[in-house]
Amino acid sequence: MVLNHREFSGMRESKGKEIFLWLIRLRQRYRVTGASMRPLLSAGDEVLVDPQAYLCQSPRIGDIVVARHPTQAGLQIIKRIKAVREDGDYQLQGDNPDPAQNSPSRVPAKLILGRVTSRFAPAS
Amino acid sequence: MKLLTRTIKQFFPAQKTVSAHCDGPCGVYDPASARIAAEAALSMTKKILALDPNDRSHATANSLSRFITIKEEQAQLAKTDLLVLWTDYFKPPHLEEYPDLHDTFWQAAKLCSAVKVEVNLEKAEELLKAINKIHTIFWATKKREMPYYTAS
Repeated sequence: MVLNHREFSGMRESKGKEIFLWLIRLRQRYRVTGASMRPLLSAGDEVLVDPQAYLCQSPRIGDIVVARHPTQAGLQIIKRIKAVREDGDYQLQGDNPDPAQNSPSRVPAKLILGRVTSRFAPAS
Repeated sequence: MKLLTRTIKQFFPAQKTVSAHCDGPCGVYDPASARIAAEAALSMTKKILALDPNDRSHATANSLSRFITIKEEQAQLAKTDLLVLWTDYFKPPHLEEYPDLHDTFWQAAKLCSAVKVEVNLEKAEELLKAINKIHTIFWATKKREMPYYTAS
């Protein structure tokens, strides 16, 4: 089930290259709501997302991704890829260790919109 | 660089949001989880009270210690489950229909705390009554008939 594993290693802050990529629209900026990615990301944090990250390669375990919610139209979620299922779907889950704040969801690859590449700015 | 991005965020906040909120996506709520935890805490309270305080054997000390641990864990779990239900499931229109909703949850959460820190049979039973009331309100808001039952 596990294809490969990217070690958990914090969240990079947006620096020159990332900001440049955002300025030329190769990064999208999103604001995080909710607590399921705590302690890494808190509500109000802004992140940059690479929408082209998975054009040439597949999402990898450990990636933090933005995805369309499989059943709630219009809802976009930010989660970490926990596992790749045998049928090709991805198991997404938040980082928050509190189970009340965290429940896994399963999404097909086509709903994954991009990979979170850095934190643009923390919640003020 | 940090100042730059913070300033951009302050004056031009991101228009798009991504939800890191589990309960939005899953939407599965049921007061049964709190009821099961509260039943376990009640059962442990009964078991603690059934122990002979004059029996100074290791076996009894061991049982007492385990019962206390489980009672505290389960009472805390019941409290967490109730708070999630209260803050995440219930919405302002529910409050209009059930004006004592906040008080019901507040009192139930306080009972969880009492059951956790004390050995109090009366409060453990009161907690189950409070959860029964929450069960009734919850399923009424879902417009579904759901009989209340207990495992023990």
